[in-house]
Amino acid sequence: MASLSTRCIAEGVGTLLLVYFGAGAAAVTLMLAAGSNPATPFNIGIGQLGGLGDWFAIGMVFAITIAAVIYSLGRVSGAHLNPAVTIALAVTKRFPANETVGYVIAQCIGAACGSLLFALTVGMNAVTVGGLGATAPFPGIGYGQAILAEAIATFVLMLVIMGVAVDKRAPPGFAGLIIGLTVGGMITATGNITGASLNTARTFGPYLIDSVLGGPNLWIYFPIYIIGPIVGAVLAALFYDRIAAE
Amino acid sequence: MMCYICAKEGQFDSDAVAVCTICGMGTCMNHTIRKDIDVWEGGYPFPAKKLPKKMPRMFCPDCSAAFGKGK
Ligand SMILES: [Zn+2]
Ligand SMILES: [Zn+2]
Repeated sequence: MASLSTRCIAEGVGTLLLVYFGAGAAAVTLMLAAGSNPATPFNIGIGQLGGLGDWFAIGMVFAITIAAVIYSLGRVSGAHLNPAVTIALAVTKRFPANETVGYVIAQCIGAACGSLLFALTVGMNAVTVGGLGATAPFPGIGYGQAILAEAIATFVLMLVIMGVAVDKRAPPGFAGLIIGLTVGGMITATGNITGASLNTARTFGPYLIDSVLGGPNLWIYFPIYIIGPIVGAVLAALFYDRIAAE
Repeated sequence: MMCYICAKEGQFDSDAVAVCTICGMGTCMNHTIRKDIDVWEGGYPFPAKKLPKKMPRMFCPDCSAAFGKGK
């Protein structure tokens, strides 16, 4: 097995790509819609051009990037790319607890590097207009509702990871494709509710670089993306162990 | 069983000691190539790890060359 530092680099690079392309796609969508009049107060720009198709496009960018990273780095680090996934695997004793902190830090650093790289390649409009694709609850969505939505969506993600990858009876080869598509589907469905993070690191990266470069300050919402995904993922792993044991 | 390669060379008294994993020909000690193959366990969402023991594989010279791209 690769050393912990090598595996952390793989996690960091993988999460960097996830945020660069995935969150980047959300930022580009906001930049494309900039200046148009939102059709409804629920619309902040994403959805202005193609309704749910905007979210589908963003979801597909995440789906393809996640599949690509899982197939390329999955055997090096496990390609969790998501603190909620790492923590859920640790809680169910599948991943060593003492390596969990390293993985989570690597994912957060990778995510921040992804956002920084996106800002560097696109320019300040990506920060001020696109917010680097940072997630926040949409108009009319309360704090508790947002936590619930993130938890439910991440529950589905982790349930699928358990079923198509962790379970030794799973058919080999499909994990990356199915898990990527699951994230894509969850993003299409919950994008206009919470921004569909499902991933603490994916929200942390844009938040941090927005703060550094003068973008929107959304830290007040950060607990949503810590509690929701982690609770959802841990519950899914425990649930799967309970129902799939026999 | 006799060694196929020896038999083709007209030598019909050399016993086969192994069977090629790929083509199934019997080979004598001189014509058997043993390769020890790494065995990996795990993979997404766990890091793959190389198991401490390797898996032996018997090859005839032709299959060995094809398997290892001539190496
Ligand atoms: Zn022989
Ligand atoms: Zn052979």
